[in-house]
Parts: sequence; structure tokens; C-alpha cells
Amino acid sequence: MSEDQLSRRELLKRAGAGAAAVGAAGAAAPFSFAGPMKFKNRQLKGDLSIIQWVHFVPAYDDWLDKTWIPQWSAANDVQVKIEHINNTLLDTRAAAEVAAQSGHDLFMNLHPMASYEDQVINHAPIIKEIEGKVGKYGALAKASTYNPKTKKYFAVSDNYVPDPVVWRHDLWNGVGEAPYTWDHVRKAAPKLKAVGHPIGIGQSQELDSNMALLAFMMCFGAFVQNDTNRPVLNTKKTIQAVNFMVDIYKNGEDSAIFGWNPASNNNYLYSGTASMILNAISATRTPEAQNLPFTNDLWIWPIPSGPGGRHGLEHVMGCYNIWKFAANKENASQFLVDLCVNYKQATIASQLYNFPSFPGAFPFKQIRKAAAADTHKPKGKYTILTTIAEKYTHNIGYPGTMNAAMDEVFSKFLVPQMFAQVSQGKLSAADSVRSTASQVNEIYAKWKERGKI
Amino acid sequence: MTSAWRHRLFVYGITIPFAVVLAFPFFWMGVTSLKPEAQVYDPTKVWRFHATLANYGYLFHHTEYVRWLRNSCFVGLLVVLVTLAVALPAGYALARLSGRVGRTLGVAIFLTYLVPPTLLFLPLSRVIAQYFHLSDRLWALVLVYPSFTIPFAIWLLMGFFKTIPQELEDAALVDGCSRLGALVRIVFPISIPGILTVVIFSFSLVLNEFVYAITFISSSANRTLTVGVPTDLIRGDLFNWPGIMAAILIPSIPLALVYNAFLNRFIAGFTGGAFR
Repeated sequence: MSEDQLSRRELLKRAGAGAAAVGAAGAAAPFSFAGPMKFKNRQLKGDLSIIQWVHFVPAYDDWLDKTWIPQWSAANDVQVKIEHINNTLLDTRAAAEVAAQSGHDLFMNLHPMASYEDQVINHAPIIKEIEGKVGKYGALAKASTYNPKTKKYFAVSDNYVPDPVVWRHDLWNGVGEAPYTWDHVRKAAPKLKAVGHPIGIGQSQELDSNMALLAFMMCFGAFVQNDTNRPVLNTKKTIQAVNFMVDIYKNGEDSAIFGWNPASNNNYLYSGTASMILNAISATRTPEAQNLPFTNDLWIWPIPSGPGGRHGLEHVMGCYNIWKFAANKENASQFLVDLCVNYKQATIASQLYNFPSFPGAFPFKQIRKAAAADTHKPKGKYTILTTIAEKYTHNIGYPGTMNAAMDEVFSKFLVPQMFAQVSQGKLSAADSVRSTASQVNEIYAKWKERGKI
Repeated sequence: MTSAWRHRLFVYGITIPFAVVLAFPFFWMGVTSLKPEAQVYDPTKVWRFHATLANYGYLFHHTEYVRWLRNSCFVGLLVVLVTLAVALPAGYALARLSGRVGRTLGVAIFLTYLVPPTLLFLPLSRVIAQYFHLSDRLWALVLVYPSFTIPFAIWLLMGFFKTIPQELEDAALVDGCSRLGALVRIVFPISIPGILTVVIFSFSLVLNEFVYAITFISSSANRTLTVGVPTDLIRGDLFNWPGIMAAILIPSIPLALVYNAFLNRFIAGFTGGAFR
């Protein structure tokens, strides 16, 4: 080898030094590797990362991702990164972020995550700021996100979704019934099943079954907890509710309901099979978008009434949480304030699926007007949503408030399990209620000891 | 009827129903992937519909499907390499470790394969985020996936190496080979079925993994196939069935071809340790 030639070792050494120099220069100059700045001639003030569900009304995500966020991002000089994941994965993701003590600045879930109270900031200042601009936080939202024991707001709810009963008018008319009360449902169920159109209320470990069965229980005067957040599940009324639903299942439902996920009841309806489901209006919006043959026969009503009255739950409760370990708390707070203040746009974009948790942002009167303008048949069917929202929509944990114990009962799907055990013949209603109540009591005792209820 | 015909009838009588049942999901995937979305729920259009390639077009032009595919392949190939690098020497060493120690170690390693990701993802989240700072990076998966591919590969290769006579290595050593040389020149070449099995099986495991992928990766650009498809093709309650079917069918075909091409070696790899 001549002296001019490089040895292999020397070549590697020089290449390594060169790469290191370029790397160091790249790290020092923020633009050399990062590409052009997003907003010309300006240094961004900061970042914001958001994770939330894939909305059941696709138009909402389109508005949020393509209109609202770019506008907010430019106005506030913040680089926003939003990620959408399937709603069934949100709890898993939240658990992972808490375990890692690292994650998104804004974490949105479809139910209040009261059991993570110690992991999140007190959102009170954010709520106060929004109230200063659009008026009081709604009672439903407050009962869902405020812990009266610790005096902490563990989330900010931007929206909730009324939960009507969606039913096929043509099919029910054919059997001479309508789902005005649960007695009517029980009476119609066998006839509807006989003509190939069962009822579609799930008894599975998933969100929709949870909401439907909790609401159903409430119509019988049966509750998981009372107004002072003490467990009161083991009552005759709960047993009566369980037996009633088992009767509906046995005579008017299909065993598929035990394996459902949150989209199953909707798909059951879209396939033309289901005659009635309890679901938000995504169940009617999708058939409208796909022009399914029975679209005009889909009616929405408030939940049927039972011996305990007519009590529904929100279908989902949009709750944003800012972790204590979030890197950009200030931007996250500002984003929430601006979103909630301008919620009229969001409600319209969601095709009246999302109702504002701060009612002043888009008052019921205006929502009713917007609903009346909807041209889908039967015309004016969506106006009932405001009545449902105002009169029949309660929080999880009603008549008490949402809290860590109720969150755990909800997240462990104890109520659907209680119903399913009886429907599948594994336990009697009394035994199932007793055994579930015992688990519920243990959960409440645990959280009481931790000072959260 | 001759006995040969009877035998043939018996064999086909068993095989054909099995083949039909196993092939039906692929057939259904193919059919659904060619349906217009509006006809998926229409009971009158189960078999008679206007076939379209629009769903494949949607996949390639309106989602990040190609990127997910690339991400899955990138992670899969790296994990296979890491798995082989660790499992080959480990499997060989355990196979040659005679007595109780070797057996116990082999069983202990395999037991780690049985711990489900649903239990491990929480503690691993902390490790990935806080110690390695690999949140939302594909390298997180490259780091974590070997935790379940390596134990399986070691266990499989261990069984395979045991079938290779010690005398072959001794002969190589007598002929002047080093221990490593004997391993590379003699043992590994005749272990190709076992190695191929590990490659194919590890790659399939990685391609199917969901829990770690959803936990450690959040941005759409870094998603793998298993996370990208259900996240972007299921819009709430709106399942884009034709798109989902097309998305699953595409990677299934090359995998099925590879499995078929190496079927005999694959079977030999799995059963290598069974007869001795």
C-alpha cells in the first residue's frame, strides 16, 4: 500500500469523524434536519400532542383535524400533533401512559377516568376560564368530572352524547307496538324476534352494554350507588331489573349479544336485523350516509320508561385529561379553553352527535333549531335530542357523582357481567346481584380507604 | 373398487372438507375486498355484485397502508435477525449442555414465552419510555419483540440441534475445524429447516402482534399493519369491510406462498426434535 492510499481503518475513522461533525451541526441548527419551518419567519412557541378516539361520526374528525386544529395551531403558534385510536383501546393506552409516566399532553377518553385522579392536574382553573367566557359548566359534566370529597376536577368534559333508543318504525308498526315503556319492549320482543328482527341490547364487556344496562337499571329504580356515593346495588329492584332483561333476552334477543363490542349494535342495525338498539345518533347518521333502504324508518325516542321512571345516561362523555407528567400543560389548557368556548362549531361538525358540556357555548334552543333544519326523514326527528339531553340524560354514578370507585365498577364491566351471568343460566338473579354487590362493596371500601370517596 | 382407489377416496374425503373450511376465509376476504362498500350490508348482493378495485385504490392512495406494510417488514426483518443472532448459539449451547442443567434452562427459557404481553405491556411501557426513550419509535418494537420470539426460537432450535449427531462435529474438530467453524460449516447448514422455521414463525409472530404495537406506537406514520388497519379503516362504528379485507389479503398472499414453498422444511423444523 502506498503512503497516499488510505488504510481501511483510516477510512472508517475519517468517515466516522465526518458523520459526527455533520450530526453535531445538525443538532445545533434546528432546521438543517427538520426541514422548513411550518409557519414562515416564526419560531414556534411550543408543541401539543393529543390522543383521542376515532369519532363515530367521521365528519367530526375531518373538521377537527383539517379545520379546527390547523386554525388553532396557526393562531397560537403551536405545533399540534393529534392521534386517533379506536375507542376500545383508550383505557389500555391510558394505563400504559400512566405506567410510563410519559405520554400525550391531552388524553381524551369517552368516560371520566376518576381512578386516575392522582395522575392528573386539577382542571379547575381551565373550567373557571371557560365559565368566564360562556357561562356555567353543565350539571351533568360537573357530576362527571368533579370529586366533591377531594374538591378536584379530574377532567374537563367538552361534550356529552345523548343516548336515545333507535328503533325501526316499520318493524314495530308491523307488530302493533312502539318502545314507549320497557313493558312494551318486553311484549314486542318475541314478536319481533319471530319475524327475524330481534332487539339489540348488549350484555358484553364493552361500553354500549355498560351504558344501556346501567340506564335500564335506573328505569327500575336500581342504582350502583346513592346520592352520597355509597354502594346500594343489592336491592329487590336490581333483581327485578335483571330478571326483566333476562326475559327480553330469552324471548327477543340473540346470543351474539354476549360477545359484542361498541360497534356491534350499530352493525346489527345496519345489517337490517335489529329492530331496536340503545345508541347515540351515529346509528342513524351512518345509514343516512350509506343510504340504506330502511333509513327513513329509523326513529329516535327517549329511553323507554320503567317502574322507576325514565332515566337515561349519556352515551359517551368526552373527557379531556392533562397528566401531571404532560410536557405542555399550558398549551393543553389553552386548547381546551378555546375548543369548549367555540363548541358550536364542534356540535355542528359532529352532526349534532356531540352536545356541549358548557351549555352556554351552544344553547339548547339553538341546537333544537339546528336539529329542526335537518332534512332527513322523518323530518324533525332529531329535535327530540334536546329533550333527551335536558330531561333524561344523567351521569355515570347517578344519583351520586362519578368517582374512582364507580369508574372501577364501570371499567371492570361488572354490571353487564351481572346481567350476562343470569341470561346464560350460570346464576340466579339474586345470586348474581349479591355476588356483584359484594365486589362493588370491596371496590368502594378500597377507594374510601384511599380518601377518594 | 380397488384398495388404491379406496385409499384415495379416504384421503380426499378428509382433506377436501378441511381445505374448503380453511380456504373459505381467504375466499371471503377476496370476494368482500372486491365489493363496493355500499353493497357489503346488502343481503341481495352476497354473490352478485359489481366487482371493483376501488378498495385497493383507497388503501394505497388514501391511507398510509404502504408505510404500515414497510414498517411491519422493517420490524419483522430486524427482529428475525436479532432472534437468529441470539437463538442460534443459545439453542446450540443448551442442546449440547447435557444433564439436568441444560433441560432446566431450556424449560425456564421457554416458560418466559408463555407470559402474555397483556401482563408485560405496563412494566415495559416504563422501560421503553423512561430508560430507552423510544416511545412512538419502531425501535421500541425491535427491542421488545425478541422477548417473545427468542424463547420460542431457542426452544425450537434446541430440539433441532439435538437431532444432529455429536459425531459430525467431532469429525470436523478432528479435521482441524475450530468449535465455531464446526458450528458454522457443519451444524448450521444441516439445520436449515429449523432456521427457516424460526425465520418464518418469528416473522409471522411479529406481523400479528398487536398489544405492544398499540402501546408503544401512536403516530399513524409509525404504525404497523396490525395497528394501522383497525385504527384507520374502522371509523367509529363504520367498518370499511372491503378495505379491511383487502388490507389483510395483501400480506396474506406472500406469506402463504412462503409457507407453501418451504412447507416440507417447515414441518421438518417443527418435528426435528420429536424423533430421536
